[in-house]
Amino acid sequence: MTGSTAIARNRTAEHPTALMQVVGVAKRYGEQRALVDISFTVNAGEVLGLIGPNGSGKTTLLEAVAGLAPADGGRILWRGTSPAPSRRREFMFYLPDGLRPWDEQYVARVVEFFAAAYGRPASITAQAVGALGLAPVLRKQVGALSKGYGRRLMLALALITPQPLLLMDEPFDGFDLRQTREIMAVVRNVASNGRTLVLAIHQLIDAERVCDRFVLLADGRVRGIGTLADLRAQTGMPAAGLEDVFLALT
Amino acid sequence: MRSPDAVPVRGAPLRPLLAKELREIVSGRALWTMLLILCPLVGYSFWQAVVLYGEASAAARDSPVLASGLSPLDGVLVPTFGALYVAVTLLFPFVAIRSLGREKETGALRLLVQLPYRVPTLIAAKMTAIFGAWLLALVPAASAVVIWAALGGHLHAPETADLLFGHLLYGLLVGAIALFAASISESSATAAIIALAFTIGSWVLDFALAGQPGALDWVARLSLTQTLRTFEQGLFSIGLLLGVVAAIAGFAALSAVWLHPGIPPRTKLLRSCACVAAVAVVFALATRLGSSVDLAEDRRNSFSAADQRALAELRAPLLITVRLAPEDPRYVDLRRNVLAKLERAVPGVVIRLATTGQSVVGSTGEEAYGEIEYSYAGRTDKSRSTSPREILPLLYALAERPVPPPGAGEDYPGYPLVADARPALLWFFAGLPLLIVLGWWWAHRAPALPAQLVKDGGQP
Repeated sequence: MTGSTAIARNRTAEHPTALMQVVGVAKRYGEQRALVDISFTVNAGEVLGLIGPNGSGKTTLLEAVAGLAPADGGRILWRGTSPAPSRRREFMFYLPDGLRPWDEQYVARVVEFFAAAYGRPASITAQAVGALGLAPVLRKQVGALSKGYGRRLMLALALITPQPLLLMDEPFDGFDLRQTREIMAVVRNVASNGRTLVLAIHQLIDAERVCDRFVLLADGRVRGIGTLADLRAQTGMPAAGLEDVFLALT
Repeated sequence: MRSPDAVPVRGAPLRPLLAKELREIVSGRALWTMLLILCPLVGYSFWQAVVLYGEASAAARDSPVLASGLSPLDGVLVPTFGALYVAVTLLFPFVAIRSLGREKETGALRLLVQLPYRVPTLIAAKMTAIFGAWLLALVPAASAVVIWAALGGHLHAPETADLLFGHLLYGLLVGAIALFAASISESSATAAIIALAFTIGSWVLDFALAGQPGALDWVARLSLTQTLRTFEQGLFSIGLLLGVVAAIAGFAALSAVWLHPGIPPRTKLLRSCACVAAVAVVFALATRLGSSVDLAEDRRNSFSAADQRALAELRAPLLITVRLAPEDPRYVDLRRNVLAKLERAVPGVVIRLATTGQSVVGSTGEEAYGEIEYSYAGRTDKSRSTSPREILPLLYALAERPVPPPGAGEDYPGYPLVADARPALLWFFAGLPLLIVLGWWWAHRAPALPAQLVKDGGQP
């Protein structure tokens, strides 16, 4: 049994509320090993941060978990069962980074399309639009949005989806400090309403503010899993911030 | 068992998906550019066809024999729809590629495949949108048909509908190829190159290989343009229909196989092989289906009704051995005037080319070159004629049957018409383009916002 798998199994035993288990996921791009035996658990209602520098494998991992990139090995367990990759969208929704989809469509139409596809009531759509402050740009084309509004639109689409688990890649990218804090409040509000979030974040300060637990990734390997207190204990640095902990473990 | 918190993939409403796909196609510039190019193309083709038809009609005004050669299908409809064919071949792939290519380029595909729709449903919706785009592309040619009727031109509904249906099949086939090209390409530009390789490659097959002997002739028949030829002759072939529908379904299925980014390439390859094998089986079945209906008003694909009835009663195998090179014009005549009609009329006809692999130059020196041998029920006769007037009596003699008397009132009268189509140019060069620009504006206008979205969505 490898180290990260053992860590994950121990944590599953500690957390009977495990919503999803990632067990031994591996991925190669030719000779390059993008993910090596990645294992961790996601608990219901938490905000889990996948933390790592650019190129550490966060996006590849999220895509493999969501079934949008074929993994070379490993399993994804949802409440103990192993759904086929094509069925994972029934349980989770993955919001990729840097998308500007359907750029010639109007924002309102894209939002309405998502709501209609999932059969969501108008109140949910209005709530998402209101939470992300999208009302001023509803009659703008997606391609004409600023970077910040583009990110807000993507987040609104994620909020409209009904799946219990949201995977988001760099959700705070493109926002200034004030906007980032606003979006963090939205994310915390989503979690407090019962949804579970897995956020891939490379800004450690942002991650420390918003996440309940962390999976530290570097070079496609898990370097640590737990709450900030767990990680501090693991590194023997009781007063350290996430940055120091991350540097110590990687 | 389904988890209580699972979002069902089946049963999601199709209407929003279809609306979104149609909006995607009409929001791009490719469709409107194609429509604007189609207007003068179709308009000029129509005007020129009417002028030439009028000149031929003027000469045939006092001659029933000349008049009987004037068919609006050949004279006006096929040339006019030829402009649509050119546009569908060269421009429609760009329109169809847009339905998927842009989503791949912007990453929207990764959102789309997570929505509660199965991949075949997504492809079906895109094909529906492509059909919608083809319907819009049909507007200039359809308006030409209306103008022709308004000018007093004759239209035979079955052959006109057959021609339209042929163009529909061709449009959907080009659309399905373009969709497949988009599904296997990372960029729209690459997809366009692949799609045009199919469509323009068909022209190359037509020009380079048509009439060539043996396997080359078989390869030439894979040309996409062959789809149209039969329909342009007023023939509705069940086998061709089955083959083209199988090709459309096959390319759509391949698009579905290659659409999802989460499927390993090896699995995609295996599924593709299964698709190709299934289509090949349907092709094999289609080539055995010889039944067809002659919808041309002048019955150009059939002998007279009396001959058709008499020939249908020839139950023994009829073996025809042709000593002509396939590219020889006499063989082309024989094929069109006799052999193709015999294949439709006689149940057990077998045609054998005795000069396979030889060219006209290499064969004409042989004494037997040009002979056509007919064998029926142990009797054999030879002829060098390519005319049914000589060949049919020969066949009746071999079968020891009387020559049927010609039926009355079967002769095609022809429909000469001298008309001035110049006012139509105003429609094609000004009226219709203006309508298209208005359509572009209408399709791009900002949507009205639902009241609740404005009321409740205003406050962050």
